[in-house]
Amino acid sequence: MSEPILQVQDLRLGFATDSGSVPVLHGLSYTLEKGKVLAVVGESGSGKTVHALSLLKLLPPNARIEGGKIIYQGKNLLTMKESSLRHIRGKKIAMIFQDPGSSLNPVLTIGEQLCETLHAHQKISKTASRKRAVELLTQVGITDAEKRLNDYPFQFSGGMCQRVMIAMALALSPDILIADEPTTALDVTIQAQILTLIKNLQKQNGMSVIFITHNLAVAAQIADEVLVLYAGQCMEQAPAAQLFSRPLHPYTQGLLGSLASVRQKTDKLSVIAGNPPRPGDKTEGCPFAARCPKAFEKCYKACPPLYEQAGRSTRCYLQEGK
Amino acid sequence: MTNAIVVKQLYKTYEHKPWLGTKTQKEVLQGIDLTLPRGKVLGLVGESGCGKSTLCKVILGIEPATSGTVLINGQNTSGLSVRQWRVMRRQMQVVFQDPYASLDPRFSVRKLLSEPLDIHGLYAHKQDREEYLRELLRAVQLDAAFLDRYPHEFSGGQRQRIAIARALALNPQILIADEPVSALDVSVQAQILNLLKEIQRQRNLSILFVTHDFAVARFLCDDIAVMQNGQIVEYTTAETLFEHPQAAYTKKLLAAVPSVEGR
Ligand SMILES: Nc1ncnc2c1ncn2[C@@H]1O[C@H](COP(=O)(O)OP(=O)(O)OP(=O)(O)O)[C@@H](O)[C@H]1O
Ligand SMILES: Nc1ncnc2c1ncn2[C@@H]1O[C@H](COP(=O)(O)OP(=O)(O)OP(=O)(O)O)[C@@H](O)[C@H]1O
Ligand SMILES: [Mg+2]
Ligand SMILES: [Mg+2]
Repeated sequence: MSEPILQVQDLRLGFATDSGSVPVLHGLSYTLEKGKVLAVVGESGSGKTVHALSLLKLLPPNARIEGGKIIYQGKNLLTMKESSLRHIRGKKIAMIFQDPGSSLNPVLTIGEQLCETLHAHQKISKTASRKRAVELLTQVGITDAEKRLNDYPFQFSGGMCQRVMIAMALALSPDILIADEPTTALDVTIQAQILTLIKNLQKQNGMSVIFITHNLAVAAQIADEVLVLYAGQCMEQAPAAQLFSRPLHPYTQGLLGSLASVRQKTDKLSVIAGNPPRPGDKTEGCPFAARCPKAFEKCYKACPPLYEQAGRSTRCYLQEGK
Repeated sequence: MTNAIVVKQLYKTYEHKPWLGTKTQKEVLQGIDLTLPRGKVLGLVGESGCGKSTLCKVILGIEPATSGTVLINGQNTSGLSVRQWRVMRRQMQVVFQDPYASLDPRFSVRKLLSEPLDIHGLYAHKQDREEYLRELLRAVQLDAAFLDRYPHEFSGGQRQRIAIARALALNPQILIADEPVSALDVSVQAQILNLLKEIQRQRNLSILFVTHDFAVARFLCDDIAVMQNGQIVEYTTAETLFEHPQAAYTKKLLAAVPSVEGR
């Protein structure tokens, strides 16, 4: 039986900028089931990272949550006291940040940073934490881990820093892992290894995962469920197998169509014409209408609701009454 | 025809000397031989930590080589003076892996794009400058309104486009691109890849393209070098590599490529 572990309800968020408040998330809702991997995919700037940061209230100072709830264990994280949130962050809900370079402290060794994370949330001896640190680094595919604990971040390659971030997030066996583009800097074999590692933790510990990626192939590999975000709204949500074999939203279809293939050489990739609306742009209709090859009159007038059918939902008038 | 980049028997060893304890050495590049012919795209693929970025840094003169030669447009880069490097840099630009670290957060986009032009005294007239900056942004499909905004206000993909615009500002002959699209989502990735291909053809640009995405390499590259532990294990045309991979390591990499079809 599926059991929700995290529920995002009508999340609305904007940024205060010099030119006034700019909305970025327009009522995002979804449910993360316990022990499942939900992939959030979508165009750059669609709000994936901002949404993830809001789950742990790690937003930049000019961000404004304008409405909605994030329910974890019956409590709304958005209204929770900072002191209570601190017990959840890292320990219950851990996050791998998109930006590995600047998330590591340049003046501490990799070992010091890993051990610090371990000490912050549990009573553990120095030798035990060092041993655990070696274990964690090995798990994420860093060879010679014992020696490399003494290295500083600048002595690690981009992909290695990213793997250290992954190790840190997994250090405390969280209930929920939020992974923001965790494998972008990794080559395919390490990527495959990390995906397997996350999958194993999901199976063994029942860890639930929100996996943010722009890499549809990776999403196809790891996700049980996929949510397609566009301009701060969910365009389509469906079980992964269905979404990839039969995408319903023209945007999802466009995304899948623009993929380069390893199987053959293409001269030109098909692209989705135009650009996504900029945050703050006023659109009456569907945010994708201006770029949609299938748009018709109605699409420009009012934004379609999410149409639900057979375990999937699609924000597109073409699905009306289906 | 001179080659854009020739690398011969390049070695790079990092030495780490702690205050206490013994000196350790890491041989990161172990005898690299590569040639980027003018007007071609050479792909460099290989696992994380195998030395791809280090190779780029040595070619760019950011890190000294331990031994071996790098020729840029036929000119040996060892022993170049600061001034000669400056001239060289104008011909050879770079886009880095990490769109976050590569743009100074204190600078507006206008300033970021203007800086290389200022250094070389180009488009000094106010109106020319403005027009050129807009053209650059258009080339990477960004709105001109972005000119007066700051990097932190952008998403990762938008930042990478700014980095590409900046690299193109001096109209270089050679572009070193270290994972330039890995932080971009697919639809923008497709746009940028088409764009790079188009610019490459129009300007007859020579590109050293580091990537771990084989689909991307197949789309863009003429030749591909597969690197493992600081050595090139297979180096051939893209066509041959994908159709008839030889090295066991190449086969292993190709087998691990995730795909939407292959679920
Ligand atoms: N501090 C900020 N101030 C103003 N606007 C911001 C700020 N941070 C993000 N934004 C805007 O919010 C929107 C969503 O950004 P976000 O980083 O969530 O995108 P993303 O989906 O993670 O993109 P990417 O795939 O490129 O990482 C973008 O349009 C961005 O410009
Ligand atoms: N400044 C440095 N001092 C010591 N070692 C370094 C330094 N820079 C890189 N290294 C080491 O050199 C090796 C190669 O690093 P490099 O950044 O070139 O890898 P890469 O192939 O670009 O990997 P990725 O795909 O993860 O970016 C790694 O083992 C790294 O730890
Ligand atoms: Mg992001
Ligand atoms: Mg690198």
